[in-house]
Amino acid sequence: MSELVNAKGCACPEPVILTKKALDAHDEVTVLVDDAVALENVKRLASVSGCTFEVTEDMGGVFRIDIKKGQTARGACDTSPEPPHPEGAPQAAAGPTVFVISSNVMGQGNDDLGALLMKAFIHTAVDLEHRPDMMIFYNTGVLLAANDSGTVDDLKALEEKGVRILLCGTCINFFELGGKTGAGTVSNMYDIAGALSTAGRIVKP
Amino acid sequence: MSGDKTYCVALFDSVSHVMKAEKLLKEADIPYKIIPVPRSISADCGVCVRFLPEQKETVMEALRLHIHVREIREL
Repeated sequence: MSELVNAKGCACPEPVILTKKALDAHDEVTVLVDDAVALENVKRLASVSGCTFEVTEDMGGVFRIDIKKGQTARGACDTSPEPPHPEGAPQAAAGPTVFVISSNVMGQGNDDLGALLMKAFIHTAVDLEHRPDMMIFYNTGVLLAANDSGTVDDLKALEEKGVRILLCGTCINFFELGGKTGAGTVSNMYDIAGALSTAGRIVKP
Repeated sequence: MSGDKTYCVALFDSVSHVMKAEKLLKEADIPYKIIPVPRSISADCGVCVRFLPEQKETVMEALRLHIHVREIREL
């Protein structure tokens, strides 16, 4: 029997929290959401937890996600983030390099200047010798991924070079940027906090 | 970004001129990009405006009356 989670109309990160709770107690979970961001977030939770899932779209923009715990999940679907280093990990500072872009301006003082600097920074990041493994955009930082931002082509180039780009879903929602971003993956606080807590190096321009 | 494409860059006397240029180009709907001044050029001012060579006349037209463009360079 599949446990039913009705997350229609729930705001981020509620659908993910409800799904995670259900997965902790059940092997099969069916989630209903009516929002594309929620759909992506639940799908991502399922895949990082080693579960298989199937999505069907019902009438009226409702998505049904059938999640099953995978065989690899050893009886329990492990939804807790993996520790960065197993016991006896040789290097304490190992871990991905994460660039945190918490604003669309670089530095504090003059925002016109800051916006200019941030554009130059993002452009420069594409050709850095030591590119980050991941870039996380939140608050006004997500504006840089908008189609009309002037930086979206640089973010696409970074993705092509293997940099993972996470955009805060709550922020996308707040700035009404849904469907208006041209790069990056809309993400949630689980992924963002998880990535920050397991990073080897965090760079905040 | 990709090495095989040619671009022009406009260099200005100060950062505030770059900001003003950005505003003017945006208003005129001319595609542009703010980039750091390439190391090969290395000027005092750290940022410049990049655009496509075929836009050169349009860019000059949009800026001419308002700001002094120090130099246009091809990359």
